[in-house]
Amino acid sequence: MDLLNIGRVSYVKENGYQTRIMAIYQFINHHLYFNRPDIEIKGEPFNSTILFSLLTGLMKGKELIIGEPGLGKTTSAEFIGSLIYQLPLGMIWGSEVSGHPEQTEEKIIGRPDLGKLNRGQEDVVWTHFSQIPVKIVDEINRLPETKQSMILDGVDRGNWEYLNEMIINEEYCLFATANYQDGGTNTIIAPLVDRFDVVVESRYPGPNLSFLIGKSRRKDQILRNPKHEKDLYRVLTSKIAYEKKIPQMEEICNAFGDYLHKTIGIKPLRKEDREQIRSEVETLDLDLDASAFTRMLLSELSFCDRYGQKRIIENCEEGCHFSGYLCHEIKNCASNRLPTSIKLYAQGLAWLLGDSEIDMEHVKAVMPYNLSHRIQWKDEILSQKERAKRDDPFQIYLAKEAVKTLSHRYQEQSEHLKDALAVGSKIFQGEPLEFLEGDHPLYTEIRKDIPPIK
Amino acid sequence: MKSIHSPERTSSRCTDGDLHGPRNPFEEFQTFAFQKREIPLDQIVQSAEQVMDQIRLGYEKLLEEEAKELVWMVQYNTIIKAYEVAERYIKEIDYTAEDIEDFCFALENTQKIPYLIPGPAGIYISALCNYAKEGEIVLKLSELKTEINLIGFRLPKEKRLTVEGDTGDFTGISLEGGELVVEGNAKNWTGAGMRSGKIWVKKNIGLHTGEWMMGGEIYVGGRVRGLGNIVEGKVFERDKLVYPGKVRYPNQYY
Repeated sequence: MDLLNIGRVSYVKENGYQTRIMAIYQFINHHLYFNRPDIEIKGEPFNSTILFSLLTGLMKGKELIIGEPGLGKTTSAEFIGSLIYQLPLGMIWGSEVSGHPEQTEEKIIGRPDLGKLNRGQEDVVWTHFSQIPVKIVDEINRLPETKQSMILDGVDRGNWEYLNEMIINEEYCLFATANYQDGGTNTIIAPLVDRFDVVVESRYPGPNLSFLIGKSRRKDQILRNPKHEKDLYRVLTSKIAYEKKIPQMEEICNAFGDYLHKTIGIKPLRKEDREQIRSEVETLDLDLDASAFTRMLLSELSFCDRYGQKRIIENCEEGCHFSGYLCHEIKNCASNRLPTSIKLYAQGLAWLLGDSEIDMEHVKAVMPYNLSHRIQWKDEILSQKERAKRDDPFQIYLAKEAVKTLSHRYQEQSEHLKDALAVGSKIFQGEPLEFLEGDHPLYTEIRKDIPPIK
Repeated sequence: MKSIHSPERTSSRCTDGDLHGPRNPFEEFQTFAFQKREIPLDQIVQSAEQVMDQIRLGYEKLLEEEAKELVWMVQYNTIIKAYEVAERYIKEIDYTAEDIEDFCFALENTQKIPYLIPGPAGIYISALCNYAKEGEIVLKLSELKTEINLIGFRLPKEKRLTVEGDTGDFTGISLEGGELVVEGNAKNWTGAGMRSGKIWVKKNIGLHTGEWMMGGEIYVGGRVRGLGNIVEGKVFERDKLVYPGKVRYPNQYY
């Protein structure tokens, strides 16, 4: 059967979860979200929107999908959320938050239970958005900047607070969509931007696939089931405690998953499947090259010889010795969320490709998407490169170029850098060795991590 | 910074899972088989530094032997003797034309070379050029504040020495068939005693040009301030033959 033709990804484990995920990937690609492959990882072509959205769903990540209106930003997230979490599409639609200037905390998070309030009791009615594991914020940049901060904590930690009550989502993923700047959009505030693990662009699929999309109606119906939608609605609006709703929801989701298996031949993931996948993924670690390369990137995105670290309020010194590195091209400092995002998505990718370790290829593939929204380039760099020929949106293009440059640099220095890190480890353990010398900022950072002898 | 850390502090550091001390941020590299490697640039720098040390040492020896009081008189026998001393040290060094240029730059720009005495320095640079493996040598001296004397001394056949910048007195004396090009000005006594070969001076030249010259040719792009007692050879000023020619009298302004 065509949709199960996963021969291209031949190295995944036989009968493993990877096969199921790739079947979901192929199903979405062939039946729901038509688009061209736009990245190649280890010789395999992938569509970045589907791939990163799948990883977001699996790894409990946070993804921002950008693109022109009508190019499938929201629908791609809905389809993936539905298949990874066994949620009927109607339920996902009903829980989406749409970004608009009049949006309120009561519509996003929860409201007082008015019946109880009349009786003098305080209780919260939580929104579906705050309760279900697939959270979609449509057109997030239409939320005014002051209202974006309302969802910061929920987005970051999964805890939603209203009045004196709080619910915590143990398992959730977030998809937000954003149009390019127009008259009705606002800037996404920096703390919120930083909370997104990845940014992808939902691209135009080309005229032929676009034509096909126009022909294929009722594809939304594939992932719908009114009965299960009503059942879920009933559970979510019931007055029982949130913790007690979860097993009931899971039961309905499993029934919907079985329905999908019967009707389309795709077996969505049950909660235990997702947990098993995550436990398998967590065992994967970065190999030494991937680790050294990531450290190299982080050092270039945070280093300042003059002022101790990058700060957006400080400018590079004229004639700085380190002008050949990324620190000289950017304004801000890398956040601590960046390495977490890189590892999360590289782990997921390595697992999906059936690899036993996270290697350079995995980190190089995910880094541009983890980076692009977090880097603030200097104006001169933007003006130098804005006319360059490219396929990606400008920010992703710049991040890809930066990773490419860094990769060349790493190839030249990898052995010496790894030696320097190994020596750093030995010195840290008390061995009487000398630090290895080198020009890269990472050598300086290694020294800084060895506390002085008391 | 080359800091040596004492082994005593081992106890205060922890590895994975120990909550009583700081965590080793490099612990995954702990088992990495570290080998002290040198990156190619390090090797190049190190080898260049070694060569420079040897060249510098030769120059210091020359000064010690020939300019003890930091005074050096230009006399025929002092030049010959200094050149012999320079030859003795230079023959032992494996260097390239680039090292000569580095040495010229170092003469004025490092603390490692204590004295720049234009005479011995010129003799030494000439010896370096004459014994270099390369047939063609370019010396960028335009940045130097001091004009070096005696550049091109005894430049042999099949060698071409180009000097970017000005040279001092006695440029190209005793030339032995080589080609010496001075992109700037040359001072007095240029080409004195030369036997064969060619000297091009792109700008002006001083007095006593070609004194006791026995053969060869001197081409001057600017003005010749004065000719010396020339025995044999030719001197051209802006493509015009000035010796042999009408001007027969030495050091006359014409």
